[in-house]
Amino acid sequence: MKKFKLNKFNKQQAIYGILFMMPWFIGFIIFGLYPMIMSVYYSLCRYDVLRIPQFIGFGNYQKLIFEDPYFWTSISNTLIYTILRVPLCIIGSLLLAVLVNNAVKGVKVFRTIYFIPSIVTGVVLSVVWLWMFNPQFGLINSFLAYMGIPGPLWLLDPNWSKPSMVLMSVWSIGGGRMLVFLAALQGIPKHLYEAVDIDGGGWWAKFRNVTIPMLSPIIFLWTVLEIIFSLQVFVEAYIMTQGGPLNSTMFYNLYLYNKAFNDFEMGYASALAWLLLIISLIITVIQFWLSKRWVHYDGGAK
Amino acid sequence: MKQIIKIVLGLAALTAMGLFLFLPDSKPPDDGKIRLRYWMVSALRELPFHVTEFNRTHQNIIVESTPLPWNEHEKKILTSILSENPPDVVFLVTPVAKWATRLALTPLDDFIKRDSFDSSIFFSALWDEMKSKDHIYALPLYSNSYAFFYNKRLFREAGLDPEKPPKTWDEVLQYSSKLTKKDAKGNFIQMGFIPTYGNIQTSIILAWELGAQMLLNDGTRVSLTNKPTLDAFNWIANFYNQYNLKDISTFVAGFGFAEQHGFISEKLGMMILDNSFPDQIKLYNKNLEYGVADIPTFEGHPPVSSTGSWWLAIPRGAKNIEAAWQFMKFAVQKNIQLTEAERQKELLFPANKLAANDPAFLSLNPANKIFVDMIEHSKTPTVIPLAHDVFWREYMGAQEKVIHKMQTPMEALSQAEKTIQMVLNETIDYDNYVRSKVSVN
Repeated sequence: MKKFKLNKFNKQQAIYGILFMMPWFIGFIIFGLYPMIMSVYYSLCRYDVLRIPQFIGFGNYQKLIFEDPYFWTSISNTLIYTILRVPLCIIGSLLLAVLVNNAVKGVKVFRTIYFIPSIVTGVVLSVVWLWMFNPQFGLINSFLAYMGIPGPLWLLDPNWSKPSMVLMSVWSIGGGRMLVFLAALQGIPKHLYEAVDIDGGGWWAKFRNVTIPMLSPIIFLWTVLEIIFSLQVFVEAYIMTQGGPLNSTMFYNLYLYNKAFNDFEMGYASALAWLLLIISLIITVIQFWLSKRWVHYDGGAK
Repeated sequence: MKQIIKIVLGLAALTAMGLFLFLPDSKPPDDGKIRLRYWMVSALRELPFHVTEFNRTHQNIIVESTPLPWNEHEKKILTSILSENPPDVVFLVTPVAKWATRLALTPLDDFIKRDSFDSSIFFSALWDEMKSKDHIYALPLYSNSYAFFYNKRLFREAGLDPEKPPKTWDEVLQYSSKLTKKDAKGNFIQMGFIPTYGNIQTSIILAWELGAQMLLNDGTRVSLTNKPTLDAFNWIANFYNQYNLKDISTFVAGFGFAEQHGFISEKLGMMILDNSFPDQIKLYNKNLEYGVADIPTFEGHPPVSSTGSWWLAIPRGAKNIEAAWQFMKFAVQKNIQLTEAERQKELLFPANKLAANDPAFLSLNPANKIFVDMIEHSKTPTVIPLAHDVFWREYMGAQEKVIHKMQTPMEALSQAEKTIQMVLNETIDYDNYVRSKVSVN
């Protein structure tokens, strides 16, 4: 084996590099790595922060999976929310991007208008939508009543509460996701569309055979990201419903928060956090495996 | 090599400067006075009277009070105790036991013994809450009390005698149906009584009146499937058999705070409300003609109400324990509480029995007499001290399942009982473990 050797100059450079990295590295160890390692340990303990931890092995995990009904409720709520929300977000943003990709007059104004709502933060958004969903005075039900349709109770009805929150995310389809799709759309070479024209294909053939395959890496990326974001849904439920009605919006992170900061069960909450990481990892690995079938990279490269 | 040393020294100097910049300027002016850090959960704009008066009358101690936002107060106090830099006195409302069992508070037994502090000045329901495992951890400062409010104008319109509020829960049901009105489309525009609207849970009042004991065997066994609690839940279920849940939910969703409160906006004829409402009504709807009465009960049972307290305590690791005790003792005195109640009317109800029964306090509001009576009949909402949050989450969850007709009272309550029992067992187990490892006073 050839020994790797640095000359004097490179050595000096390396030392400088490491030195300049140190402030970040020390910060990462103290505020990132150390808490992470400790949370693995605490997840194996009973621990309420104010008192010493009591080691109980895998007791927390065992209790979560086999005894705690809220764990499964929160998982199914979160998965239903994810399954409903992710397609809506991806398809919505993609269609909007295709729409504002047309070179019509004033398209830049439209792009800006569609982007603006996504600047609003989650808390503000939740408070606004809380009023929109009000069954008596809310904008949506007032409009429905005007059309002669009796509106549902939205957030107050256990069957409608999750769809309501999914509906809220329509608000953000014009945001960063749309911009990335738009940039990718503009990167698709014109000659591919011309080829479809020559073959006599219409807009659908272009969309189906050129746009979608060319965008597939971006669609894949956003699907992975959005699923992770959706699994971590918290603010909407925390502000609007606190998990109700009938625990229908008791999402995973809300349950974790309640355990940690209302009941002070930090050990149990740590176990919840690690399980969520494992679930997210499994879902992401499955997606990467499935992606081989439908994601096309330029020139066949991986 | 020299350069490296230079860089290392430079970085060290920068870090030191940075630390220096962010280091709090914690050194108080050296005038020999004790500065008492007092953290209170409060939305008051001005300093409370017990602080200003203490500062005026004590030369050697200065109380510096800091208001805490409601949503974050528990976390702030928690971190201050963990970082061994807690305030000297805290003012809190969550159960004393929640903090005391976690060794977050300093026991006051020695002070109480030394000064022969008389605890009989407090309402007994409030004083009982200050205890945990035979130690006293806090002093109650304020409390709240509930009474039964009814709208006299709506009573007259419905053909009911405005001077005769319902005395029993059966009468409440009868009156309620007379007070309920619907519009042409079948939506409620006025209702008599809604047992699930408001801060206080009607169902637990019902259960207490019927004699429910929810914690048995010296605090180790949870009981929700007892007959009184089941009967109370059946009463609630029966109410929702008479009225459609969806219609009630739509109606209640139109309520809000202040002017939009269900009772203040005169959309609700009867309601159990706390002692802040006479002032709120004066502020937001002064034309509202209302009466205040004892909370109704069942035939042959005494009325029961609920009361909790806002309390003062010394966190673990506080620096000025002696001064903190002086301040706490000062704040709960009769004359301080009386003046405070007169000056800051909203939300304050003295925990000091002598102040609450004083003619000066009773004359502030004609309803105060009833509030004082009700507090004497009160139980604490801290039903299971060691599993308080879980208890209420499960209890409310069970009630929700019953009113949505998803489960019978028996099914819902036995499920809740099982979950609370599981948490309680673990809490006791953890507590025993900690006590076996750490010496606890």
